Amino acid sequence: EKDKSTTSKGSTAEGASKRQEGTAGTPKQKLLDIIGNMKVEVSYRKKLQELKGSENKNRLEGLDSEDAQRTAEGIQRGKPLNPELVKAASAVASSLPLNKKQTESELLAQLRRHEETTDKQKKGETIDIRNVISEMTVKKQSPAQRGVRISSRISLELDDDGQTIRPERFSSQSFDSRRSLKVGKRLNIFTKASTEPEHALKTVSSPTIWDLEFAKELAAITAQPPRNGFEEMIQWTKEGILWEFPIDNEVGMDDGAEFHEHIFLDKHLEGFPKDGPIRHFMELVICGLSKNPYLSVKQKIEHIEWFEKYFEEKKEFLQEI
Amino acid sequence: PCPGQVRSYYVDWRMLRDVKRRRMAYEYADERLRINAIRKNSILPKELQEVADKEIAALPRDSCPTRIRNRCVLTSRPRGVRRRWRLSRIVFRHFADHAQVSGVQRAMW
Repeated sequence: EKDKSTTSKGSTAEGASKRQEGTAGTPKQKLLDIIGNMKVEVSYRKKLQELKGSENKNRLEGLDSEDAQRTAEGIQRGKPLNPELVKAASAVASSLPLNKKQTESELLAQLRRHEETTDKQKKGETIDIRNVISEMTVKKQSPAQRGVRISSRISLELDDDGQTIRPERFSSQSFDSRRSLKVGKRLNIFTKASTEPEHALKTVSSPTIWDLEFAKELAAITAQPPRNGFEEMIQWTKEGILWEFPIDNEVGMDDGAEFHEHIFLDKHLEGFPKDGPIRHFMELVICGLSKNPYLSVKQKIEHIEWFEKYFEEKKEFLQEI
Repeated sequence: PCPGQVRSYYVDWRMLRDVKRRRMAYEYADERLRINAIRKNSILPKELQEVADKEIAALPRDSCPTRIRNRCVLTSRPRGVRRRWRLSRIVFRHFADHAQVSGVQRAMW
């Protein structure tokens, strides 16, 4: 079969080259001769493909030479087929060993269907399709996906001849879901809700009391009692009764201050005298504060500043000593 | 309309005073901490420490955390209070027997 298929392909290639060289009339006859001379093939599919290929080539030639006339002819055709194609179909049918009339009728039916679809395409708007295709972007397939698809294709090819089980259509489903996964607004369930820039700019500078009251009234009216436990929990979370999950241990604590601001507090010691027991004392204070994980940087700075004030007030007293 | 008990007032005046002390202790906590840091170290001169002593004594009396008494939250009982539940032993027993304290069971071994 493989040899026959290669020879047929070779013959069609030769025919195509000859056709391109010759005029419109003779190549079709040559095609018919070729089809008649070709060896008998068992695969029905390849015959159809070749037929359709020849059809398309004929059609292309026709379009190139006389577009409007051909299209008009095509529209007029409708149900009656091109007599040349009919001749080709009959030649093919004669070459096949099976029941000639049946094969001929089947081929003609296929041709009719093909023509209908092509006519529809011609009548339709081809320009829009081109626009659509140009707009479509190439999707990057991951190699794993590609491998799955190739394997699925290969196994599908076997299916018709052999009896292999069809693979589950995971790839298409995942593909569809993958398209819809990253589209849309994020819910921020597992990541910290980053404060997105508010789209609606608030032009009102100071909301009046009446506005506030109105807003409160609206909220009170529209707030329906929770229908189920989930809504109740949502309400609690909004109020602050229930924590947000996954639990964040640093709620309300994390200033955004880096570790070096917590530990290296020497810069705040500039107001103190460099020698003496006070400096010694303050260094101990700083050492203790740097080791304290529970205070924020602001609180630590406040501690140090309080000591500064205190020792300044007591300066006179200290100088007496 | 509410299912549980509705409490608009504190149980008794002692509870109220305890609440006031707690609030004040929270206010003055930082200051007390700093002044005590000056007092309780051996580096600074003793005169400074004596001055600090006088200062801390001058603070309001209720700002001292030692004056807080962990009373029972429901009955204001000063004694027999379990810290974890903030309840007196009688109230705790009452609720535990009615299975309203989570994870508490009658002991048997």
